[in-house]
Amino acid sequence: MQDTADREEMLTVEIWRGREDGALQTYRVPRRESQTVLDVVTWVQRNEEPALAYRFACRVGMCGSCAMQVNGKPRWTCRTHVSRVAENGLLRIEPLANLPRIKDLATDMAPFFEKWQGARGRHEPTRTRHEPMAPVSSESPARKAANAGIECINCAVCYAACDVVGWDENYLGPAALNRAWTLANDERDADKAGLLQAVSQGGGCHSCHSHGSCVEHCPVGLNPTAGIAGLKRMTLAALMKGEL
Amino acid sequence: MSQPLETLRTDILIIGSGGAGLMAALHALQADPDLDVTIAVKGLIGKCGCTRMVQGGYNVALAPGDSVERHFMDTIVGGKWLPRQDLAWKLVDKAVERIHELENELGCFFDRNPDGSLHQKAFAGQSFDRTVHKGDLTGIEIVNRLMEQIWARGVNKLEEHRAIELIPARDGSGIAGVLLVDMRTGQYRYVEAKAVLLASGGGPTMYLYHTPSGDKACDGMAMALRRNLPLRDMEMVQFHPTGLLAGTDTRMTGTVLEEGLRGAGGYLLNGAGERFMSRYHEHGERATRDIVSRSIYAEMRAGNTTPNGGIFIEMAHLGPENVSKKFKGMVERCADCGFDLAGGRVEVVPTAHYMMGGVEFELDCGTGLPGLFAAGEDCGGVHGANRLGGNGVANSTVFGGIAGESMAAYVQTGSAAWREADKTVLEAGISRAEHPFQARGGNLSDLRERLSHCMWDDVGILRTRDGLRAALTALGDFRAELHETGLADGDRAFNMTWHDWMNLESQIDVSAVIATAALGREDSRGAHFREDFPETGSLEETCFTRITQSDAGLALDMVPVDFSIVAPGQSLIEDEAGAPPSAAE
Repeated sequence: MQDTADREEMLTVEIWRGREDGALQTYRVPRRESQTVLDVVTWVQRNEEPALAYRFACRVGMCGSCAMQVNGKPRWTCRTHVSRVAENGLLRIEPLANLPRIKDLATDMAPFFEKWQGARGRHEPTRTRHEPMAPVSSESPARKAANAGIECINCAVCYAACDVVGWDENYLGPAALNRAWTLANDERDADKAGLLQAVSQGGGCHSCHSHGSCVEHCPVGLNPTAGIAGLKRMTLAALMKGEL
Repeated sequence: MSQPLETLRTDILIIGSGGAGLMAALHALQADPDLDVTIAVKGLIGKCGCTRMVQGGYNVALAPGDSVERHFMDTIVGGKWLPRQDLAWKLVDKAVERIHELENELGCFFDRNPDGSLHQKAFAGQSFDRTVHKGDLTGIEIVNRLMEQIWARGVNKLEEHRAIELIPARDGSGIAGVLLVDMRTGQYRYVEAKAVLLASGGGPTMYLYHTPSGDKACDGMAMALRRNLPLRDMEMVQFHPTGLLAGTDTRMTGTVLEEGLRGAGGYLLNGAGERFMSRYHEHGERATRDIVSRSIYAEMRAGNTTPNGGIFIEMAHLGPENVSKKFKGMVERCADCGFDLAGGRVEVVPTAHYMMGGVEFELDCGTGLPGLFAAGEDCGGVHGANRLGGNGVANSTVFGGIAGESMAAYVQTGSAAWREADKTVLEAGISRAEHPFQARGGNLSDLRERLSHCMWDDVGILRTRDGLRAALTALGDFRAELHETGLADGDRAFNMTWHDWMNLESQIDVSAVIATAALGREDSRGAHFREDFPETGSLEETCFTRITQSDAGLALDMVPVDFSIVAPGQSLIEDEAGAPPSAAE
């Protein structure tokens, strides 16, 4: 009889290999106590599959580079503990959904950032570096609304989770619209009308059907659905007033 | 097989997309919107590198009662009189304009007070509360805002392009371009440029425990070294006292648990569960980073360790609910990895964090190679022996902006042109990168482990002559072994192990520079501690280390510091600089 206590506990890990065409390959990976999904991928690269493609940078949930589909759901892999996601010792790891694939677990994030720009996801200044900063109370309701959405790490987990993104390639997606919502509440921004124009076009905020998948999957706990609802109200109000 | 070399042409090529690289691109285009600007980066634009990982904030003298002079004195005293003073002055002076640019023009969303003014918090080693921040994720805010502006402008983006060689002109007149490899395909690209910015960042990732982003490998310094550019202050590697320790095969090991935990009253406990810091310093856990790191290391060396070989941090006595509220980000991060920071004990270890040293550069960010500019953590001289928390992101954005303006001006002068490349160097660069495809055998992971232990044990927190000499011998052996180590899979597309190989080459080269500088400095100050020379010695006779590579190997010079603004014993302010708080709340 073999002493099972001495036998190292193993995970069965299926990893997507290839580009758009490819297949899942199976690996056996030793289980560690404080192991994340990124650690599993790294172990496979270092020990089994040296040319395995995957992307990561910061290792701690700040850069938003390492998101993948884990057992069918989009997740940041650097902060997803294996024990929270393994099902009967099985992990299936695939490239993030709704983005073009480069190789294995790495996707091309350019469409995600292009849509960020499509939602006019950038500040339009009212002041220059030679002027004093705008006084903005930390207690003002608009400031609080913007603050609630500002800490997005652009990991594209919401973009992968969103079913509208999946069926409408023009849809800007939750992260881009969430950024627009923070700008809409930023009193320092110079071009509110332009912003609302950008987010109310086809593929903008009105395409969201409030399914809430973004909220459910956002690893940093943001609520893009609420921001998008805010943009819908704001654009309708602007339309009524003839500002759009 | 590798494909034929592709050539691209641009006016300004920027290597890196942290605070320095992105700011440089914006400033170059502000100076001249017609310039063709290209950013090449090892990861995705704005999503790799270390500026993004800044937790603390941005030091700048804005508040009534604070002053640029005070910020300067804190920087000089904190840097143990080693900084190049005109660079330190430029940092603190220009930071005032730069923070206004970040907030007003780029839209950074810095924390406010209820009265609408900017909130500035206390941070270690400074005599005034001057650190501007966005919660404890300041770097994400700064880099996200910079990145959005870059995406909106017509900047050429070479993402997942690794720089492998700085290519000089055939006639020796300056820089001609940079050899890169497209990591996604394995295609080599040579980018000709009139001006090049080295802004790839430092990052002491050759140490067993380290904080920087996983893409960092000191590539920029290694490339500069191969062009015989002098590096200064390379012995100055800052260790953060509390990195997470999560056990074997975990990427998260080494990442920072923030300073504020100690500042707020957190306990450090050895393996036996006893507080030990008071045995080392009167301020206990609140002593400065260097003192706490050395004390933890001494405790570890004495064998008083936790199961994974570190020590514990414990916050529970402050009330788990309070801790969860005050340090939400840290508590959640630990929880995601299975640790209870608020109510239990978490294993920690000192961790290599920042390189104060780097390429010598001028006030306009120029270097010894005409047309090559440098900014950010690739550079040495601003911080001296110790970097103040909050001066790092100020450094990268201040000098990145200056570099952008300098490059735009340089491109407009007659001396700037697309120079004809030195083909020998170009070809040598490609063969160097191709080498592992020809080599056979070896074990890269094992070699990386041994390098990281060597640097940790012998070139780390406590150093001796014998240890440093042993390390230099070992590093020579590692280099030879790397060249005997090949790749098991010949696919050039997104082959992470190929890049691990090239990372190791850069890391070994720069490790030798660190060890040589550490052997040269026979005193102890700031981040550098020699057990055989524990005294700081005379401040008036302070020298900095300068290391240059030649065919004969690494040459060390000890160069006297020019106290061009203030000399030891003098001050620009009335009261004491660099004083409390010793560990930030």
